Amino acid sequence: MSKRTLPRLLQAPAVLLLLFWMLIPLGMTLYFSSIRYVLNSLRKPEWTTPSLSNWRGLGNYEYVLFNAKDFWFAVQNSVFIVTSIIILTVVLGLAIAMLINRSFPGRGIVRVLLISPFFVMPAVNAVLWINMILDPVLGLNGLAVDGLNALIGGLKDFPVLGAFFSLWPEIEPVSFRATQTSAYAVIIMVTWQWTPFAILIFMTSLQSEDQQQKEAAILDGANAWSQFRNLTLPHLARPIAIVVMIQAIFHLSLYAEIEIVSRGNGNKNLPYLIGDFVNNNIGAASATGIFAVILANIVAIFLLRMVGKSLMD
Amino acid sequence: MAVVAQSSKFNRMFWPILAWGIAIVFFFPIFWLIFTSFKTDADAVKPDHLFWFKPTFDNYLNMTENYDYWRFAINSVITSTFATVLALVVGVPAAYAMAFNPTRRTKDILLWMLSTKMLPAAAVLYPMTFLTKNFLDIYDTHFLVILVLCLINLPIVVWMLFTYFKEIPREIIEAGKMDGVSTWGEIKDILIPLAWGGVASTALLCFIFCWNEAYWTVRLTTTEAATLSKLIEGNRAPEGLFFGRLSAVSTAAVAPIIILGWFCQKQLVKGLTFGAVK
Repeated sequence: MSKRTLPRLLQAPAVLLLLFWMLIPLGMTLYFSSIRYVLNSLRKPEWTTPSLSNWRGLGNYEYVLFNAKDFWFAVQNSVFIVTSIIILTVVLGLAIAMLINRSFPGRGIVRVLLISPFFVMPAVNAVLWINMILDPVLGLNGLAVDGLNALIGGLKDFPVLGAFFSLWPEIEPVSFRATQTSAYAVIIMVTWQWTPFAILIFMTSLQSEDQQQKEAAILDGANAWSQFRNLTLPHLARPIAIVVMIQAIFHLSLYAEIEIVSRGNGNKNLPYLIGDFVNNNIGAASATGIFAVILANIVAIFLLRMVGKSLMD
Repeated sequence: MAVVAQSSKFNRMFWPILAWGIAIVFFFPIFWLIFTSFKTDADAVKPDHLFWFKPTFDNYLNMTENYDYWRFAINSVITSTFATVLALVVGVPAAYAMAFNPTRRTKDILLWMLSTKMLPAAAVLYPMTFLTKNFLDIYDTHFLVILVLCLINLPIVVWMLFTYFKEIPREIIEAGKMDGVSTWGEIKDILIPLAWGGVASTALLCFIFCWNEAYWTVRLTTTEAATLSKLIEGNRAPEGLFFGRLSAVSTAAVAPIIILGWFCQKQLVKGLTFGAVK
């Protein structure tokens, strides 16, 4: 056995497993995407079994691109949700990590409290937020608005101030299951869950910041902003890249949260749209799947390039 | 000088209070979930009983009756544990070879592995259902869930292990080779003991991801192998009639992982960043 063979053999199971996992279903998706294949059809029963005689070429792609009504919306919405979550978690994560990067009483407990949301399972996260917190009637959202209305109603009876408050309208709680707002509900709950991840990583990185350099900057009269801008931010470049990459991987395939919040009503992303198609039109579902793979690859090429270099040294 | 002293006193008071405030806001939803789980379903939706109510353990005591909790919990334990073990069995040798016998292609293989995680699960949903239902007849079995959970986490497992193994001085492994230790012996007697912390936190993170997974576990199971994710997703009470009991079962579903996470938060950081953050 040559020197090279053993390492290869040791890697083989992992590489082969992942290769099968990627190639077989992907190959089938490609195949289904180029034939007519539906689960139920009274008119054309022959379409219900996958077969090359139902060849459709690029027809399914054409259908998805130009005729399926939700496709472009889903692409836009996927990008919108992922970008919003990433921006919010990075900004919040940075701010909070800087805030707790000092010693104060109970810092250990603060850390534990802050990190907890990251371990909540997505299904519970969504059920908890949409029912108990954001629900406009039974959730804290509705109760808080009711309380506010009651408070303003009470103030209307005051002599002089009352005249001012009586001009206030009754406040309506926002419903986060509605078409326009369900995406925000998803963004809120995922941001809540993943900000701790950003905090954890930024905090670890901040602890290794060069303190002498910082003291020198203070002696030179650098203000807090320019310290942050010129010393801290460059130091954090790599962790930020990693937070962005990992979140892109996880959030492009968001599903449970969207399902639980509104069953995709007004808030479909690509995985969800595929789920819709899978109920009947497998051809279209597969073509959408290939588009999702392309979108993920565009993102992956950028991100892996960016991070890949720094990971290896 | 007076100004400086004043501002430092302000700093000493203000920032910690702000930090505590934010931490409490972040933890509040979890607290609220636990809090609601001690209310009856009727109390849970009454504004007068928002903070004052008679606590009850009924929601927990009736969890088996209402939701068949233990069946799902046991499935979660079985699938997450075996998927983690399987991922380590496959991942340790691979990471070992990559860390101690790197070739020009090692980096590409690692990046390729990570890129398989970017493959959207939904894109291959139907083929997976089709294959496992019609051909392999393993739909809704523990075996399938274990295999899928192992595969989706394998890239992260290999990456993390690679990061930890790379830090072990190569001389130690080479000294073992000189003494005529077999490869298996090297892994078992030298590598694992040295990288014990790393292997443990990799296993832990893998377990957490398996436990929380909510796409494949929901879509590739019906009853037999259904996990806690499926249970919760199937029982989101839209009318809010069952907030109390739903909170109890949700608390029971997340508590093991949150507690596990608290104990190992520090070790998790390094793994999560693939060692790129020192």
